[in-house]
Amino acid sequence: MTSSGFPGCQSAPAVPAHMAKSMSLLWGAGSPPCWRVMITLEEKRLQGYKRKLLSFQKGEHKSQEVLEVNPRGQLPAFRHGDVVVNESTAACLYLENRFQSQGNRLIPDSPAEQALVFQRMMEGLTLTDRLNSVIYYDLLVPEEERHDSALKRSKETLSTELQLWEGYLQNVAAGSYLAGPFSLADVVVYPNVAFAFRFGLSAGRFPKLAKYYSLLKERPSIKASWPPQWMSSRQGYDVLKDL
Amino acid sequence: MWWVGAGYKTRNVDPSALTPPSFLLLNSRPQLLLVISVTMAKDMTLLWASGSPPCWGVQIALEEKNLQGYNQKLLSVAKGEQKSKEVLEINPRGQLPAFKHGKIILNESYAACLYLENQFKSQGTQLIPEGAAEVGLMYQLIFEAQPLAQKIGEVLYYNWKVPEGERHDSAVQRNKEALKEEMKIWEGHLQGCGDFLVGKSFSLADVIIFPVFAYFIRNGGSEERYPNVAAYYKKLRDRPSIKKTWPPTWIDGPGMGTLKDI
Repeated sequence: MTSSGFPGCQSAPAVPAHMAKSMSLLWGAGSPPCWRVMITLEEKRLQGYKRKLLSFQKGEHKSQEVLEVNPRGQLPAFRHGDVVVNESTAACLYLENRFQSQGNRLIPDSPAEQALVFQRMMEGLTLTDRLNSVIYYDLLVPEEERHDSALKRSKETLSTELQLWEGYLQNVAAGSYLAGPFSLADVVVYPNVAFAFRFGLSAGRFPKLAKYYSLLKERPSIKASWPPQWMSSRQGYDVLKDL
Repeated sequence: MWWVGAGYKTRNVDPSALTPPSFLLLNSRPQLLLVISVTMAKDMTLLWASGSPPCWGVQIALEEKNLQGYNQKLLSVAKGEQKSKEVLEINPRGQLPAFKHGKIILNESYAACLYLENQFKSQGTQLIPEGAAEVGLMYQLIFEAQPLAQKIGEVLYYNWKVPEGERHDSAVQRNKEALKEEMKIWEGHLQGCGDFLVGKSFSLADVIIFPVFAYFIRNGGSEERYPNVAAYYKKLRDRPSIKKTWPPTWIDGPGMGTLKDI
């Protein structure tokens, strides 16, 4: 483990292995929702969970194996014993609820800080939608229904959204993220931000987001769960480069 | 704020029946908590629109947590009041609900509901269950409700969201099919359910999702095609917190029938 200056990660007692062993995660590489769950499992010191990497491209998210856990045929598909939680933010909240006192606290108690964590966490889902509307435009919209004007509008909406987040991160520094110390807000939003840069977002035009991205890249839970194919190729896509 | 004895409930005392300052001398716990909750509620403000499921959810949560007495203002989305200066000062996104507790701002309805339950855990109804299975199911359902609400919006507001030159019958059809499939999933979720979405008690799942089902039915959603949804709706609509916060603009007869084909 790198020396991260994060006392929670390093000084918390070891977790009984059986807890994580009763957990399983079906996931797809590079999917921000899957990544959120993996970061949470790391933060709560629940490493050792069973996991299986599936391929969206091969349609494995619609396989029987997934459908048995998640009838919607979507990833992540997460089980803890008999409890099934397939919505990523739900799984993160569940894990923090059940394992509050182990690993790192992801939701503070004090009112102002807690409110900000919840607020940014939920705004993170708006960011997700707006990113997806641009990045997956061709996947979401059949060819005969596509319009340059529609994509342009989605890009403008996304640009405005990203500027909002740039504003939220005005004072970003080590230990000072979306809602102060690393929290569930960052668990939900960081994968989106990493995703955006992967797809060509300009660090020059979004310097605070870029700083947030590079500061947290080194966090053990994020490093441990970094999407594998992103490590093997440095170049991503550039659909967001003009934002 | 950790109170001894989880699940402790306050009595339902009408705040207007209290006579200050003598009640401050009471050493009875229920009345002390009531004092605190009335005070707390006076520091809260909600800007809302009638019939909006996210706004309604926050109102239900406030009632359930015995936080009546909050400041509130009904705004009109038809008149664009969600973009007024008053809203933008609290919510730069110009959306409702816009909620404040002192200096704390929560404009995402789920965030407000989670905050209220966490900060006022020991008063009013316990909205997050104790057991792992129930907690997991509750969180799962409230986040599954997001695609449900979205799909309703894609059908109801297609013409408002999509400029004329970009509209396609195929898209309208696809959105309708998607909503139909989504409603079937929820019909399944409610199969064999008791009175509530999760286990035997009212929870955040009901706070957040009841308004969405009510919205569906209000806008013409078929009770015959979705009998489980209709039964759930009928069972809960008389719950005090829900009855009290029933959208005022819904009292004057049925709404648009646009979802009748779903």
